[in-house]
Amino acid sequence: MAIKLEKVVEHYYEALEEGKILGRKCPVCGNVEFPPVYACNKCGNYETEWYEISGKARIHSIVMPAALSSKPEYKNLGKYAYCEIELEEGTHLNAVVRGINKKKRQELMDKLPEVYCHAAIFEREQGFKTVVFDLDEGQ
Amino acid sequence: MVKVEQIVQQTKLHPYSRSVSIIGVGSTPFMYTVDSPETNGLTEGELFGYAALKAMEDAGVNPKNIDYYFHGEASPLNGSNYLVPNIQIGNWFGMKGKGSIHHSEACCTGYLAIEQAVNAIASGKYDCVLTACVEFGDSTPAPADNVETRKHPYKRDKMTMDKFLRTTQWLYDRTYTRALMAGQEMIYDDAAEWYVRTRKITAEQMNDALNWMAINSRRNAATTPLSLMNWSKTTDNPIKTYDELAEEQGMTVDEYMNSPFNPRMGDFLRAAGVELKCDGAAACIVCATDMIPQIAPNLKHAPIEVLGIGSSALEATNPHFEVRATEEAVRQVYELTGLSGDDLDLFYANDFIITSQLIAAEIAGYLPFGEGWKYIVDGRTAWDGDKPLNSNGGRTAFGHAHAASGLADVYEACKQMWGEMGEHQVKIKNPKTAMLRGYGGAQNVAAIILQKKD
Repeated sequence: MAIKLEKVVEHYYEALEEGKILGRKCPVCGNVEFPPVYACNKCGNYETEWYEISGKARIHSIVMPAALSSKPEYKNLGKYAYCEIELEEGTHLNAVVRGINKKKRQELMDKLPEVYCHAAIFEREQGFKTVVFDLDEGQ
Repeated sequence: MVKVEQIVQQTKLHPYSRSVSIIGVGSTPFMYTVDSPETNGLTEGELFGYAALKAMEDAGVNPKNIDYYFHGEASPLNGSNYLVPNIQIGNWFGMKGKGSIHHSEACCTGYLAIEQAVNAIASGKYDCVLTACVEFGDSTPAPADNVETRKHPYKRDKMTMDKFLRTTQWLYDRTYTRALMAGQEMIYDDAAEWYVRTRKITAEQMNDALNWMAINSRRNAATTPLSLMNWSKTTDNPIKTYDELAEEQGMTVDEYMNSPFNPRMGDFLRAAGVELKCDGAAACIVCATDMIPQIAPNLKHAPIEVLGIGSSALEATNPHFEVRATEEAVRQVYELTGLSGDDLDLFYANDFIITSQLIAAEIAGYLPFGEGWKYIVDGRTAWDGDKPLNSNGGRTAFGHAHAASGLADVYEACKQMWGEMGEHQVKIKNPKTAMLRGYGGAQNVAAIILQKKD
């Protein structure tokens, strides 16, 4: 491999249109970067390779949206929360998780981080797709 | 030892090549300039120039003795219709033709203003520099329609909340973070959630801590001469302490803070815990310590040495970005200096979301792990307590002129260590060492240790 000037962002969004959620995997240490970027933030290797994430994840923290932390267009999400999630591949990120209301949050707090969710592709109001997560059934 | 989660890569700091000290500070009042006939019409050159000249006067130096100036502003295009603001205001403070640079790190700008100035001196390139920041957080050049239209030479309009929110989205990565929606919304409550979960306190106890941070902050700012609260006394709409507001409603302060007068704005956050964005400027003169006898022979107070500055930046997609970046910045500066939280007499945390006071002070060990919230509720962190925290009132009461806020905190810390605060002087004896935890820009963190030289 060599360092390439590459349209990573455009490819990521085009893949979402095709129903695929792509990250980038480090060929040296196996770390997965999501959302995808050039270099590995774990070992510092210059290059990473395209990798389709499984979408399986678990939840470490839950914050409920409120007046300051929501926007009118987020209504399309239904009930949701902001969470620290850990992908099955080990990557941690802040993400929207659907299917959580205040009551559900109370039920889940004692179980963290053994609360599971999975990725979904969600169409934003501006006409592009993004990634959110849905609480697994039975959680 | 401050523990840092593995998400953050670590950096080892090395000592500066030579000692660097702050020898003078200056600041405007923090204001809603448009709201008063006395201040309506003030311009960026006037605010920046005033703060710069007050800092020079404080240090006893002539502009000719200053080698270079740093200009910080969080949003020059939106706030002043400028792209290169350091040049456009360069005639105002006697330094015409000197070299300069503009820098912009959102709400962390005023803290990194010290970082830039210290590095310039420590490298040996310059002996004495001015570092100053300015912001019009509450007003915008008239007409306030959009940044492209032609503007009046000096008239300004109030910054509407809609315009402010539309432009603050610029803080966040356009490619991923805004699309994923979570990162930019986490700033309001993530730190509170983290504190509740990791310290195993209840949501009600966190609510008490948030309320008392706000109560203490207004009590602090009410006695601080240059605070927005103090300035507002000259207007028709003075900002009152929560004790005064509660009394007006026939309530106890606890009742008031848990009433609809202080509504929930976040999962934990209430209205009282949100910044008061405003206008202002602040400045410092930074000098090679061994050059002070030549450059400022009549210096009236002890130099304040900058012992070290830890830095960490974590983009908002990263979980607990404020917590993790603070842990790393603090770890760096403690490793460099050999100091710990026990050595700190004063602590300042940029708290545009007030939770920052608590979590930063605990991470730095200024307040004991898991106990900080009790110190706050008991009033021990008020300006006249035994553990002063944001003795000037911080962003929710002193005010938040975004870039200028960090240097306003430096102003307060230095004045307190010099014993020059009069009736607002903290009650702890001879404060010598202070930490300032800068934070902003989704998110940049700095941990600065200042120490008064004997």
